[in-house]
Amino acid sequence: MIVCVFVLCAQGLAYGQETSFTVGPQDESVSQQIVSSAKATPDLTSEDQSKTASNNPTDELSEDYHEDEILEEYAAKIKEEKVEIADPLEPLNRVFHEFNDKLYFWALKPVAQGYKAVVPEPARVSVKNFFSNLAFPARFLSCLLQADFSGAATEAGRFTINTLWGIGGLMDPSSGKELNLQKQDTDLGQTLGVWGVGQGFYIVWPVFGPYSFRDTVILAGDYFIYPVSYINPWYASWGVRAYEEVNATSLRIGDYEALKDAAIDPYVAFRDAYAQYRFKKIKARKTKLTLSAPAAQQGKPADAELLNKEN
Amino acid sequence: MKKQLTGLIIIWALLIFSLPAFAGVALDTAQKSVNGVLDVLRDPKLKPASATELKKEKLRVIYKNMFDEVEFSKRTLTRNWNTFSPAQRTEFVTLFEQILENSYADKILSYTNEKVEFYKENKLSDTQVEVQSKIITSSKEIPIFYRMILKDGKWKVYDVVIENVSLVQNYRTQFNDILAKDKPEKLLETLRKKLNKK
Repeated sequence: MIVCVFVLCAQGLAYGQETSFTVGPQDESVSQQIVSSAKATPDLTSEDQSKTASNNPTDELSEDYHEDEILEEYAAKIKEEKVEIADPLEPLNRVFHEFNDKLYFWALKPVAQGYKAVVPEPARVSVKNFFSNLAFPARFLSCLLQADFSGAATEAGRFTINTLWGIGGLMDPSSGKELNLQKQDTDLGQTLGVWGVGQGFYIVWPVFGPYSFRDTVILAGDYFIYPVSYINPWYASWGVRAYEEVNATSLRIGDYEALKDAAIDPYVAFRDAYAQYRFKKIKARKTKLTLSAPAAQQGKPADAELLNKEN
Repeated sequence: MKKQLTGLIIIWALLIFSLPAFAGVALDTAQKSVNGVLDVLRDPKLKPASATELKKEKLRVIYKNMFDEVEFSKRTLTRNWNTFSPAQRTEFVTLFEQILENSYADKILSYTNEKVEFYKENKLSDTQVEVQSKIITSSKEIPIFYRMILKDGKWKVYDVVIENVSLVQNYRTQFNDILAKDKPEKLLETLRKKLNKK
C-alpha cells in the first residue's frame, strides 16, 4: 500500500498524453487568422469571407465560456465533476508533499530502477499478484461490511483458487476468461464512504502519501488485517513492505513524473486527482450495491441501466 | 392488404430515420484516431531514435484532428475565460498545449505493445458523449474515457478521463487556485516560465 495510493493518482493522469501534441505549426496560424479576421480586407470575395468564418478557430476564441445545458436525466453524471476536498492543513501538507516527492526521487525510484534492471517483468507481475492475494482480508471484510455478499464470495473464491492453483498467489487464474472472478476493488475507506461518512479534509502523510481524513482508516486497516504486519521481528515486516513498494513502483516508473511534469501546481494537481479518484470509486461501489439490491431492480432503473437503455 | 403493407412500411421507415444519428459515430472517430497513433508508434520504419521528431510530427497531425483545444482550454478556465482578453486567450491556448505536449510526449512514445479496446458510448447531452476505452498493458488495465462534443458535424474530444480523473477538472482546480488570488497575466507568466524551464 503505502505510497501506493499517491502513485495511483499519478498513474491516473500519467496517461493523459492524448491532450498534448496539438501544437506545432498551428500556433502561428491561430494568430495569423486573428489578424486576418480582424481586418477582413475588402478584396476578399464574399465566398472567401464565409469560408474564413466557418473554419476559423478565432470564432471560438472570441466566444465567451458558457455552462453546459444539462439534461435532467444526466444531471447526476455531470454534477459529479464538481468534486473538491477541504484543505485546512495546506501549509503542512505542502511540506509533506515535498518530503514524499524527495523520498520518491532520491530513494524509491533509484532502487526500483535497479530492481527493474535485474528482475524481468513477468516475475515482477507475479510478485505483485502475490501481495495482492495476501491483502485479501481487507477486501473481503469491506465487501461484507458493505453487505456486498456476492463481492465477498468472489473474493473468497479468488483467494482459494489463486492460493491453491495460482502457486500461493503468484498467478491469478481466477480473473481469466473461464472463471471470471475479478478482484473487488474496495477498501475500508470506501466502506465508510458507502455508509455515508464524508471524506473530511485532505492529509498528506509523510511516507504514506495523500489520504482524506476518512480514508486514513485504510492505513489502520492495513496495519491490523494485512498479514505482512504480523511478521516478526517488526523490521522484517517493514522490510517486506518496502520490498512490496519497490516492486510495485518498478511497474509504473514514469507515471508520477509525467503527472508532476504536466501540472502547473503539482500539489494541487495531486490533491484534485486524489479527490476525484476516491469520489468516483465510492460512487461506483454505491451504484453496484443499488443495482444488486432487489428493490432497485423492480423500481426505478439505476444510473447505469438508464444509460445502457439510452444507447 | 396492400394499404396495410404500405402503412407498415411507412411506420418502419419512420422508425429507422428517427434513430439518433450520433449512435456510434463518436466512438468510431475516437477509435480511428487512437489506432492512427498506434500505427505511428509501431511503424518499424520510424523505430530508430533519429525518427523521433518525425514521429512527433505525425502524432501532432492526428491529435490536432482529434482534440478541440479551444474547448479544452475554455473548460479548464470556466468563467475566468471571460476575463481573458482575445490576445490572452490565444496565448493561453498555445502555452497550455505546449506544456501538455512537452510533458506527455516521451510517455506516449514509450508505448509499443499495449492493446487499446473501445467498448462503450454514453450520451451526456444532445451534442456530448463519453466514449469509453481501456489500455491493456502486461501488468494492468487503465480505463480511459474521452468526452466528445459535436461541432459542425465533427466529433472532437474536449476532456480525457483517466482512471476516473478528469484532466479538465484537474487543471480547473489548479487554475482556479491561481486565479482566485491573481490576474490572468500572472497565470500566463507562470505558464511561460514553466515552458522555458524545459
